[in-house]
This record gives sequence, C-alpha cells and structure tokens, in this order.
Amino acid sequence: MTNANHIVVAEHICKSYVGVQALDDVSIRIKEGEIKCLAGENGCGKSTFVKIIAGVESCTSGTIQINGKNLTKHTAKDAIDEGIQVIFQDLSLFDSMSVADNIAMNKLIKEGKPFTHKKEIEKIAQDALSLIGVEMPLDTQVKELSIANRQIIAICRALALDAKLLFMDEPTTALTKNEVDSLLDIVLGLKKRNIAVVFISHKLDEVMRIADSITVIRDGHKIGDFSADELDPKKLAFYMTGREVNYQKYERGYEDQQNVLEVKHLSKKGNYQDISLSVRKGDILGLTGLLGAGRTELALSVFGLNKPDSGEIYFEGNKVEINSPEDAIDLGIGLVPEEREAQGLFLKKSVNENVAAAILKRLKGFMGNIDSNGSRTLSKEAIEQFRIKVYSEDTIISTLSGGNRQKALIARWAASKPKLFILDNPTVGIDIGSKAEIYEYIQQFAKDGIGVIIISDEVEEIVSNCNRVVVMFNGEVVKEYTEEEMQVPNIRQQINELVESGKITEEGGQQA
Amino acid sequence: MKIWKKVDKTQQFLCVIILVYIIVVSMRNAQFLTLTTLFNLVRSSAGTTILSMGVLVIMIAGGIDVSFPAVAIFGGYTSLRICMAYGIESLFVTFAISILIGVVLGVVNALLINMLKLEPFIITLSTASVYFGLMTILVGTKNVGASDLPAQFKMLSSAKLITTTNAYGGTIGLSVFIIPVVLCVVATWFLLNKTLIGKGIFAMGCNNEAARRAGFNVNLLRIFIFGYSGVLAGIMGVIYIAGTNSVNPVSLVGTEMSVIACVVIGGAAPQGGYGKIFGTLLGVILYYLFNQTLIYLGLSASWQDFFMGIVLLFSIISTSYQRRLKDRKNFIFTE
Repeated sequence: MTNANHIVVAEHICKSYVGVQALDDVSIRIKEGEIKCLAGENGCGKSTFVKIIAGVESCTSGTIQINGKNLTKHTAKDAIDEGIQVIFQDLSLFDSMSVADNIAMNKLIKEGKPFTHKKEIEKIAQDALSLIGVEMPLDTQVKELSIANRQIIAICRALALDAKLLFMDEPTTALTKNEVDSLLDIVLGLKKRNIAVVFISHKLDEVMRIADSITVIRDGHKIGDFSADELDPKKLAFYMTGREVNYQKYERGYEDQQNVLEVKHLSKKGNYQDISLSVRKGDILGLTGLLGAGRTELALSVFGLNKPDSGEIYFEGNKVEINSPEDAIDLGIGLVPEEREAQGLFLKKSVNENVAAAILKRLKGFMGNIDSNGSRTLSKEAIEQFRIKVYSEDTIISTLSGGNRQKALIARWAASKPKLFILDNPTVGIDIGSKAEIYEYIQQFAKDGIGVIIISDEVEEIVSNCNRVVVMFNGEVVKEYTEEEMQVPNIRQQINELVESGKITEEGGQQA
Repeated sequence: MKIWKKVDKTQQFLCVIILVYIIVVSMRNAQFLTLTTLFNLVRSSAGTTILSMGVLVIMIAGGIDVSFPAVAIFGGYTSLRICMAYGIESLFVTFAISILIGVVLGVVNALLINMLKLEPFIITLSTASVYFGLMTILVGTKNVGASDLPAQFKMLSSAKLITTTNAYGGTIGLSVFIIPVVLCVVATWFLLNKTLIGKGIFAMGCNNEAARRAGFNVNLLRIFIFGYSGVLAGIMGVIYIAGTNSVNPVSLVGTEMSVIACVVIGGAAPQGGYGKIFGTLLGVILYYLFNQTLIYLGLSASWQDFFMGIVLLFSIISTSYQRRLKDRKNFIFTE
C-alpha cells in the first residue's frame, strides 16, 4: 500500500460535523511532482479535505500517510514539518509589510529565533524568488503589488519552508490571461523540482489543462480521477453537479427595435477610445477582450462613475449626461460590479436590506420613513423568485455562498425595474449550478425587454447568453459580431481565436 | 540624500515643516536658536516621547490605548506616596514600583481584550476610568509640593547630564531625563525592527487572522504589547512627577489624545500595520516646538492646539487623497 513516490496517501477519509457528512469515504493519493486538480462545487467537501491534510481539522475515520509516515491525527505543525503548505484564496499576506518580510515570515516563526536580521530575511526571500526565477524588489510593500505578484509571494513563502506539496485555492480567479500563463510556468517549474501542486477549482480552465489528474468530488463523495483530455466543460459540470447542465442559448425575440442605450464616439484618455455601440430592448450584448481592455471602464462611465472626456450617450433616444450613480439609477440603469463583495453588497446587513437598497426611493413614505413591510414583502418575493438559499430574509448576507450573494445582488437590481442592466463578470467564483440559474435570470430579463450588457472573460458565457458581441483590446473595439454572425456554428472558436490573438499582440506591454 | 529617500513621505513632510518653522522663528527672534531652547524642549517632551513609543507599538499592532495616562499616574503617584510613607530614597525602587504597577495594569487591559473580544478602544476607555478611580480610592489625590518630594525625585528633577554656560553667563544643562528617553526609544526600535515579536506586532496589525495562521500566538503578543506599554507608562509616571513642581495627580488625565495625535501625525496607520519611530519622534518634536516656542512669535501657547490640529488635518487629508488617487486608478469607488 505504501509507495515511496507518494507524498500523501489518504484512504477512506470520512468527516462529519454535527449532523452533516462532509466527506464520505474519500481516497486520494498525491505523487511527488504531480499537478492535481481538486474539482467540485462550493460546499462539496474539497476544502474540508484540504484542511484535514493540512492538519487544521482532523478526520472522523480513515488513514492518512504523509511521506510514508502514519499521521492520521496530525496537527498543522506536523503537516508543515512534512512540507505541506496551503495557499488560501485570500493569500493571508501582510499588506503593509515588505516583500522580504512576507516571504520569510513563516520560516522565521518556524525557526523561532528571537532576533531577526535584515540580511538574513532578505536572503531567505531572494533564495525563494530565484527558485522560481522571479525578480522582485524586496523592500516594496505588498499592497503596492498586483494580485499576480502577491500570489508569487505566497508561493515563495511556502517554498521558503521547503514545501513538498502546495495546495492552491482558486489561484486564477483574479488574474489576467497573461498572469495565468506566468503562474502556470511557475507551477511547471515547481513540478520539475519535484514539488507537487494541488489546485482547488471549479472551473475547467488553463489550470486544469496542465494538471496530471483531476479528482472530482461531489457532496462529500469522490466521483473519480480523470485526465484533462478526458474532460470537457460539459462533462466536468455533469460530474460536479450530477445533472446535465445545459446553458440555453439566447435568441432575441423582441419586436421593438428601439435602442435603450447608444454611445457615440465615447473616449476617455488612458481608458478607451472612440467607442460606439448600441443596445436594443431585449438585446444581451457581450463585451469581451482581455482584462484591462477598457470594458469595465466603459461600463463605469455609463453608470456615472468614470466621466468620459468626449462623446455622447443616448438613453432611449434622448441625449443624456450621466454624472453620478444616482443619475444612472434615475434613468433606469443597474450595475452588478465585478467585485460584488467590495462594491456591491452590504456584507454585514441582511438579505432584506441588501435587496431593497436600490429602491429605497420607492419604499419611502410621506415622512421619508422606509416602508419596512413593503421591503419585507419584496425581499420575500425575491428570495422565492431567484431561489436564494437562505433561512429567512433577515439572514446576514455575508453568511451566504458566492452564488446566493450574487443572486441577491441581481434581485436588488431586478426590483428597481431597470431598463438597462450591466453585469460585470457575473459568475466569477460561482459554482456551476448557480451559474446556470443566473444565466436563466439574465435571459429572462432580456425577454422582458430589458437591455443587458454582460462583461465577461469567459467565451462560453458570452456565446451562450449574448445575441451580439463586441470584442475590445487596449480600449478599442476591434470586432463586432452581429446577430447573424452569432448564429455560425463555430462562433465560439472564432471569438476564442480572436481573444487569443489579442493576447499575443498585447504580450510584452502588459507583462507585469 | 540616501537617508532622505529611505524615510517615507510623512516624515519628509514633517522634516520640512519643522525646518521651515525653525527658520521662521529664528528670524523673528534671536533667542530661539540657542541651547537653552533645545534643553528645555528635551526636558518638557521627555514624558510624551516615552508614552508615544507605547502608543506607537500598540497602534502598529492594530489596537489603540487611551488608558496610558491613568496607568502612568497610577504608577508614578503610588510609587511617590509609598516612598514618602516608608522613607525610601532609592531611585531604583521608585522606578521598580511604578513599572510593576504599569505592567500589571497593561496586562489587565490585554487580558480583558483577549477574553471579551472587544475593541481595545472601548476596553481601555473603561479601564482608564477604573484605574484612575481605583487610585483615587486607594491612594488619594492629595497635592504634593516640590519641597515635600523625596530626595530621589528632587535629584532626578535637577540633575544635569552636561552643563554649559549661556550667553548671559548663567549655567544651563541637559536634564538626565534624556537617559530614560533614549533607552525607551532604542528599546522600542530594537523591539520593532530586530525581533521576531516585532515582526509579529506588524503582522497582527496588517492582518490578525493571517498572523494567527502563520503561527503567531496573537493573544500572547497582545499581552506582551500592552505589558510593554505599561512599562513605558510606569517610567513616564516617575519622570512626570519629578518634572512638575507641584504634583497634582489629576493633571495628567486627559492628555492621551495629544500623545495619540503625535503618533498619528508621525505617520502611523490608525488601522494598524504601519508606523515609524522617527516619524513619531518628529510628531512629538513638532508638538513641543509649538508648545514651547510659539511665544517667540508673540503668540500665546493656546495657539498650539490650533497649529497641531492644522498639521494633523493636513497630513490626514494628504494620505487619504493619495489613497483615493490609487483607488481611482484601480477603479475602486468608495465615497
């Protein structure tokens, strides 16, 4: 049973919390220098598994061997001593401290020497950085760095402790395509050094493509081990959810040809140049390209947050000036931002308060008081309509999963009955099940005559939901696909190739 | 210019202000730029400098303490009364009693914060009253005149490290207060920059949860930090009593905000994770420059609050403006 090449051999792991079976008979082996992907929906038990291996939690039954040693009830310190490191999604870095301090910190703590020397700290950091062949100024504060570079620091911190096995939780969510590529290069370099990497993910993306094996977990059960070429997004979705997930392709069936929004020659220096596009009632317009292509900047301009230098905006045929989000809301524009936690939700407030937030003007009574019964009825309806999984409308929204938070945010804007709805990367970090539901709602909005703009990096998302697509690079529109062009069978491939080609031309200039 | 680049923007800003102020005042009044002014400045700012080091450490760790004047006077005044009652004339015992009280009260603060999981501000706001009230009940608040002070206090008050003669032939000297000040500053610098505990203090101020995950015992760290601040408060208590002519134990209470202001002006981040010793010192220097030397400009000392407020406001505005510019670049719109 023991194999010298295995770092971790976990057999028949079960874990139950009070009343909940989080893991049921899961066996996973991780080889030296292996790249593995652990896939599954939110709450399927993949994080629990990682926590058990990392010694943060202990399993109810089952055996774990690490480096050939029986370590079933081990502590976090035991795991670290055996070279197991977890990089959490939030990276757990110290923003105001220097790069060198961050990389060396865990090693310093492990060694436990009471006094520290700057030279020694810098050496630890430099050694770890040169291990993966990255140059970085050692005394820069981490908060000055991009997310991609922060990830590199988190990796180096693990390497400084002689990691043999690295768990990375959703490492690519916040990265641009170029940054994902450099991350993958680093991971392949680690593999050459015989360091195993386990990605935790729910997206079939670049990360999975370089994985030697993909293990799918659903509802605490292991579904199986697969290789990357065995799986396509559909199959993966099936294994992860246990049901066929079909994204309904959207076709516009709306008679009224009136434009909800039309922008003409809109420019903002450094953001985007000479953008002209229009959205009719019932249109779902896809805006794609690369991160930093100017899409979000354009959307924010329409929402009154990023004033354009020149150009005109027409709303329902009338020329308008949108100077603030209030103006935008009064016109009937809704925006679901990409960073929903930071920019969209009131995390410490209830679902009720979050849903009602955009229509307080309508709920306002004669004395400026808020009609709380009205708001309650509304949020109850919203919870039902959008199938938000929640105990009651008074539940604090931060306790909900990503998918349910996003549904609540969409419900908020739906309640405001917008005429134009902008969604910026609406399904980032959301599991497949909720994704399909969110697509359904978006398409329903369009069928009801709302003009919708979806900004997205996922070509799949764009192709299934949009009847028209605009591709942007470096702040300019490079290609517009009409409704007819979107009907071509290989449209997905076409858009994919175009986006990929843009990646090549942008390389060098974009690289951080 | 290498050093100039090493210090952050706040410190550069403060250096410029201090320099400009010194130039302006020396042009208006020739008496300003003398050793007498410098020696007076050192003596009068000694207590605040020591306290500010404690505040700095706590603020870097992401906390706040408003009870330290109460702790300082509790330690210093109790020590004084014990020495008077038992006729103790040892400087060592005087400091030891005061520091011991400081440590105990500081650790109590930390334990309450750890156990109740409440904001340090609320806890120390309450304990400030509790400590001061307790001292009033146990020791009283009787004024002690300078002539009644035990010998070691009188010695501390008048001893000079170096003496020289001024332009009028009078003897002036640098008070021995400079010794504990330098010790406290160096110790704090060493703690923050050269020890693992120092790294832990910065780490917990940046991200308490991440510090915990990295393996720091943050509760233990908090006890240490507040204990350390208690030591400093204890030292300050004795110096404060030696430095005033007539000891009125009530007078120190309420000065916490000006010490905190000095630290914030010095560039420490009130939300934690960042702060510099040199910046804090500049903050204190500026405060006492205004306090001691506005008179050379023909202004009364009451202008000090006004000027400090302006500098504080200006430094807050400039940091928040820089952050907003950065946020805008990253498309974060938080009004």
